[in-house]
Amino acid sequence: MSHNPQSSDGKHDDDSTLSDFLASLMDYTPTIPDELVEQYLAKSGFQCPDVRLIRLVAVATQKFVAEVASDALQHCKARQDAVVKDKRDKQQRDKRLILTMDDLSKSLREYGVNVKHQEYFADSPSTGIDPASREE
Amino acid sequence: MKDGGLENKKELENSKKQSNSSKFRSKSDDFALSIAKVAVAQVCESIGFQSFQHSALETLSDVAARYIYTLGKTANFNANLAGRLESNVFDVIQGLEELESGLGFAGASDVNRCLANSGVVRDIVHFVGDAVDVPFAYDIPRFPVVKDRKGMGSFWEKGEEPHGEHIPSWLPAFPDPETYATQSTVGNGTMSGSNGVKTGLVRVEWKVERPLLNFQQQFARNGNVGDSSCGGGDSTKAKEASNSNPYLAAPLHFGEKEVDVSPVVLPTKLSNEVASRDPIPENRFLGNQVSVLETFATAIEAMKSGICEYDGSRQKNVLYNQRPTVHFKIGIGKKSLNSAPYFISKNKDLQKIAYWFENGNEKDDRKRRAEIFSKESMECSHESGQL
Repeated sequence: MSHNPQSSDGKHDDDSTLSDFLASLMDYTPTIPDELVEQYLAKSGFQCPDVRLIRLVAVATQKFVAEVASDALQHCKARQDAVVKDKRDKQQRDKRLILTMDDLSKSLREYGVNVKHQEYFADSPSTGIDPASREE
Repeated sequence: MKDGGLENKKELENSKKQSNSSKFRSKSDDFALSIAKVAVAQVCESIGFQSFQHSALETLSDVAARYIYTLGKTANFNANLAGRLESNVFDVIQGLEELESGLGFAGASDVNRCLANSGVVRDIVHFVGDAVDVPFAYDIPRFPVVKDRKGMGSFWEKGEEPHGEHIPSWLPAFPDPETYATQSTVGNGTMSGSNGVKTGLVRVEWKVERPLLNFQQQFARNGNVGDSSCGGGDSTKAKEASNSNPYLAAPLHFGEKEVDVSPVVLPTKLSNEVASRDPIPENRFLGNQVSVLETFATAIEAMKSGICEYDGSRQKNVLYNQRPTVHFKIGIGKKSLNSAPYFISKNKDLQKIAYWFENGNEKDDRKRRAEIFSKESMECSHESGQL
């Protein structure tokens, strides 16, 4: 029985943190606009008149994108460091950080999204075959 | 890999069509997707990226959109499971946990956990605390915009009496009898004093179009070759083709589109270099169908200039130097897609014109196209081999 007051207090704390957080969300403007989030939520059948929930979803999505992007950034930097030779250290690292399909697919893989990219496209089925065998 | 090419392509296309149409992306979604691209780009910039590949940005924004969609779907499902219509914060948190379960979050293994102090929420709180507040770059209106559509008025609204006792008055009224077009009234395409209902007008134009097309078909069959705009009766097909594939319509250069109306069109213009672009003979017969033909004219012009650009860069130099000599190829849009460069490079007028008035079957069409395609590919491979 001595449990309960504590746990109930704990619950109150949790609830209050949650409600405080939701209230604070209204001050913070997520980068992903509310209209966009509402559009996709409406498409999925989500119904809620509460704006705070929409902000919550927006913030969650922003966090997700930020995580994926930071993973991709790490891949990008790791690749640049591998390429760099000793003499041209600083010059190489000043190169622009570009979000490439390669890095993105690697980082998305960890999140369960499989984005496989065609490595090359051939003109016809016989491209790249020796001329001798092609004539046959 | 031998079977590789064509068969797999078809399967891929089919599966793509099915998955796209049944699930997520549609044409109407373009606006939302472009907004998502901007938002994602801003997030990436705040992370530290300085530029991006277009395909990477599109992929990431698509993934973000699907994330939102999945969150909403899961939250809705949870709410319905609990017997509610509207979702609440716990539904959303449960959805978040489900999405994050792949990578895991603090407290995921705890069976008796409370949703309110879930690890997911704590992560988000940390994120909000750390992140820089970067608002979205543009002001967005509320979308999608809901149009106020005025339907056809009912009998009761129009004040008309329904034709019989069996028709209730709350049903939409019948259109005016004058709008019913028949073959005999082609020349009199005038609209009687309609009630000013917009939908009625649209219907009039559509119904009058039909006899117009039949008229054109008759013209073609009578062998009126002097009228280049009458080739085949498939102007709708050409229009559809150009509508369905906007990438075929090349941008018009300055001064390319001539809208001037020449007063006289000689029927013997067949052998001349430049055919007239406007449907003046039609104008004589059909009073106010000009608008219809003009729309076709622009579509056909787009098709023409599109045809020039279709077959790749090695033809381009040739094509920009020579203006196409004959312009209208209504109804042979499909055929001429592959054969136009053929003809333009050979530059034989008579052959072109004979080609117009062939009523080839579609099967022959495909065979021809396949032959031409294989020839061209063989030429390509020969060239590359020689290099």
